[in-house]
Amino acid sequence: MTVKILLAVILGIISGYFYAPEIIVENINGVIDFGLCLLLFFVGIDIGRNKNILNDIKKYGYKIILIPFMIVLGTIVGSILSSFILKIPVFEAAAVGSGLGWYSLSAIELSKYSTELGTLAFLSNILREVIAIIAMPFIATNIGHMETIAAAGATSMDTSLPIITKATNSSMSVIAFFSGLVLSTLVPILLPLMMSFI
Amino acid sequence: MRILLYITIISLGAFLSYRGLSSEKVLEKLDRIQYLCLLFLLFVMGVKIGINSEIIKAFYKLGYSAVVISFFSIIFSILGVKIVSKFIKSSKKKVEKI
Repeated sequence: MTVKILLAVILGIISGYFYAPEIIVENINGVIDFGLCLLLFFVGIDIGRNKNILNDIKKYGYKIILIPFMIVLGTIVGSILSSFILKIPVFEAAAVGSGLGWYSLSAIELSKYSTELGTLAFLSNILREVIAIIAMPFIATNIGHMETIAAAGATSMDTSLPIITKATNSSMSVIAFFSGLVLSTLVPILLPLMMSFI
Repeated sequence: MRILLYITIISLGAFLSYRGLSSEKVLEKLDRIQYLCLLFLLFVMGVKIGINSEIIKAFYKLGYSAVVISFFSIIFSILGVKIVSKFIKSSKKKVEKI
C-alpha cells in the first residue's frame, strides 16, 4: 500500500511538472473536492458497516481528547527541536509547525510576517501531509492505530481520513475525524499565539 | 462550512450502510472502487503540487528546512500519542471488566 501511495503522489508531481492536461489544471480544485467528497462518503459507508462503533468509542470515553492535545504538544516540541538543527529562531519554527498540516491557512498567516516564512510554512505543512499519507500504512502496522492519527495532524479530518480508514479501522476513522476537527479549530488560535512570540 | 459538508457526506454514507441498503457484494466492489479513487485523489494532489512552479522553486531553496520541521513534527506527534495511547487503552480494559 505504501509503495502504491508513494507512486501515485510522485507520478502526480512529475506529470504536473512536465505535462498536465489543461482540463485537469483548470479544474484541479474541483476534481480534488469531488474525489474527497466521494472518499468521505466511502468512509461513512465503512463506519455504518461497523455496528460496534459507538461502543468502541464509548470505551475510550473522554480520554480521546488527549490525542489532539498530545499532537499539538508533540508538534510544538518537534518544531522547536528542529529549530536548533536548522539554526532558526525557536518560535519561527514553532509557528511553522503550528499549521499542523493545514498548509493554506498557515502560509497565509505567516506570509503576513515574512514571505519566506509563509513559503516555509506552506512547504513544511504540505510535506507533513504527504509524508504522513505515505507513512500511514507503515505506522498503522508497526507502531499503532492511534499513532497513525498523530502523523496526520489537522488533515485527519479530510484528505488523510480515507487513508487512515484504509490502514486502520472504522472506529479509528471516527476518532481521527474528531481529532482533525479539534486540531483544525486550534490552528487559527495556535498560529497567532506562536507568532506573537517571534 | 466545509466541516458541515464533510459531516453530512460521512453521515449519509454511514446511514445508508447502517440501514443495510448496500449489500455485501456491492460493498466488496466498493472497497476496490474506494482504493482506486484514493490513488486517483493522491495522484491529482501530486499534480496540484507539480503544476505550481512556485512550490518547486521554493523547494530547492527551503526544502531542507521544510523536511526537517515536518519530519520532527510527525515523529514527536507520534511519540506524544504513543505515551497516552497506553493510558487510553488501559481505560478501555477497565470498562470491559465492568
